[in-house]
Amino acid sequence: MTYVNAVFQGIILGGFYALLACGLSLIFGVMRIINLAHGSLAVLGAFITWWIVDKTSLSPFLVLIPSLIVMFGVGWALQRGLLERSLRAGILIPLLTTFGLAIVIDNVLLGVFSPDVRSLGGQAGAVTTTSWKVSQQFSISALGILILAVAVAVLGGLSLFLRRTTLGRAMRATAQDSDTAELVGIDSRGVYARAAGIAVATAALAGVFLAIRAVVEPSAGPTQLIFAFEAVVIGGFGSLWGTLVGGLILGVAQTLGAQINPQYANLAGHLVFLAVIAVRSGGILAAREGTA
Amino acid sequence: MADKIDRILADQISRRDLLKRAGIAGGLLAVPGVLAACGSSTTTTTGGSATTAGGTATTAGSAPAGETIKIGFVSPRTGPASGFGEPDPYVIDLAKKALANGLDIGGKKYNVEIIDKDGQSNPAMGAQVAQELINSDKVDLILTTSTPETINPVSDAAEAAGVPHICTVCPWEAWYFGRGAKPDQPSPFKFGFIFAFGVEQFHQTYVSSWPQIPTNKKIGVMWPNDADGNAIRAALGPLLAKDGYTIVDPGAYENGTNDYSAQISKFKSENCEMFNTFPIPPDFTTFWRQAAQQGFKPKIVQLAKTGLFPSQIEALGDLGNNLAGAAYWAPIFPYKSTLTGVTSKELGDGYEKASGKQWNQQLGPSLSLFDVGIEALKASGNPKDKAAVAAAMAKMKVETPLGILEWGKFPVSPNVVPTTLVNGQWVKGTGKWPFDWVCVDNVEDPNIPTSAKLQPYA
Repeated sequence: MTYVNAVFQGIILGGFYALLACGLSLIFGVMRIINLAHGSLAVLGAFITWWIVDKTSLSPFLVLIPSLIVMFGVGWALQRGLLERSLRAGILIPLLTTFGLAIVIDNVLLGVFSPDVRSLGGQAGAVTTTSWKVSQQFSISALGILILAVAVAVLGGLSLFLRRTTLGRAMRATAQDSDTAELVGIDSRGVYARAAGIAVATAALAGVFLAIRAVVEPSAGPTQLIFAFEAVVIGGFGSLWGTLVGGLILGVAQTLGAQINPQYANLAGHLVFLAVIAVRSGGILAAREGTA
Repeated sequence: MADKIDRILADQISRRDLLKRAGIAGGLLAVPGVLAACGSSTTTTTGGSATTAGGTATTAGSAPAGETIKIGFVSPRTGPASGFGEPDPYVIDLAKKALANGLDIGGKKYNVEIIDKDGQSNPAMGAQVAQELINSDKVDLILTTSTPETINPVSDAAEAAGVPHICTVCPWEAWYFGRGAKPDQPSPFKFGFIFAFGVEQFHQTYVSSWPQIPTNKKIGVMWPNDADGNAIRAALGPLLAKDGYTIVDPGAYENGTNDYSAQISKFKSENCEMFNTFPIPPDFTTFWRQAAQQGFKPKIVQLAKTGLFPSQIEALGDLGNNLAGAAYWAPIFPYKSTLTGVTSKELGDGYEKASGKQWNQQLGPSLSLFDVGIEALKASGNPKDKAAVAAAMAKMKVETPLGILEWGKFPVSPNVVPTTLVNGQWVKGTGKWPFDWVCVDNVEDPNIPTSAKLQPYA
């Protein structure tokens, strides 16, 4: 039963990783930028939400609506103002830009909000402590289920969006070949900006859930970025369902590792990540590369 | 259908391409210090003009060289340990006000300049700012505080350069033994001094206060795989076992772990009625929420390293009520600062008024650094003579907000003064703050008043 519990908690944790990785995966898929500021943007979203909650005493779940809109705007402006320019200069410049952006966001947060840790767990209400006890060693937490459900909904929703909507098709077309897409009348600049907006909004969503399940502080971004990054790579680049699978694999690897010895939790995740990279010339991933 | 989208996105990007970029990304992640190193320091000169020096009328600008004493101050203001450094600007302001008229030492008047540096919670940066203080600013004294990551590299640089330095807020063992001193040998350090709690202080106040609540004496522990966690596992564990406590240790975990179900299920199956941890603050919040979800509710929850600051408890919401945490300073300490004349109570109240935030434990030791440092400079007779300052430090006795500190009495090392820890508990606030810290034990210093008994967590 202990291992059943470990696997289950791993799936829950994986849901969080997948949610965190979603925007990273999208921005890479559409614009081919590795957004090193992703973790910091998530934390920024959490701080904005915290600030509104602190001022209004509303539920964080309600405040998510305005703060996601704000963060969509932040992503949009970021693409138009910063990434678009840097994209013209080759692959290294956007990477440096987002790296610098991460430092700027971390330090602005530090300056504005002080180094204190903040949490939305208290304000989120009973959902953070509610759980259903299956047996002495196995309980299901309401918050974990909620995060997993949100992750599946967001990743599934984005998939549907890319497949079914005009904008989604435009995004796929732009991702494939932006010049040709422009020839058929797609405004690729606008498409990129909206994709960045969506990606940053999902980052903020993950940041808010981080603040609900744990805490955020101004330097929390980079720590979480590594897990999001691993989830994307394990699952397969640019693939949204792959990101969900990657997050789940990473989460389960960590909880099973911890079951053997708590010291192996993060290590087990990293080993799975390395193993996936090592076997990339074989299996499904190689088939994909062949079609590229 | 989903596969199709996957492929459309995936086809575009070869795996090799991604890894190539990831490699660059990894390289960048490894060098945050390079860009961050542009961080600045602030320098302020306080002090009277040099008019009295030598009896001749001169202006401050034309004071002869050697008339200004330079004191470097290093604490973590940014990075993961920045919470520790947060009240330091307030304390430095207090010290500057007290030093505004300069210092009279050996019949000479000196200006005092305080050079404030950020160690960025990072040993490499700590070493770098210490080198700047020593080589560029040519400081006469270095004061440094908060965590081995900051004070150890600063001390190493200062010791090598022969600059007197005073440290605090780090288990003294981590500073003394952690930098190569051996238990049965003379101290290798001539210029470095520390006043701080050690493992024995944790042990004393823990075993004195825990029996206030009857338990089965089984302690679940979460001691991480870092300098503090491993030191506590090696030193505190055996002491508690000797006192009849059973330690249930699932093993060291890595900082930044996101799931603790393995540990929680072990504590539950072993029926641990007590819990002790030395984690970084974000990890504890994650653990404690998961413990609540999975039904682990010990009677005594003893925190260290996290739970030092009110914001960390507030972040827990209702789960923060009745967590126990020892303090190295609180406004109830019946001592005052020699340099500023400020009592502990005034220090806490003054900070709350100036910052609009609740008092925290860092105020006491930071102000104490200035008390000790300035007294040593005075006692040396010549603050520019580094050997004389260090010699004066070795037999220093001075009242600080932490208590009366006296070097040369501690048998293990002449460099160390162990300071008091008092166990306390966070309870629902009765005044303007969400949580109040109340003192429940004073075994190490009966002058500090207790105001409550330890209450069971659950």
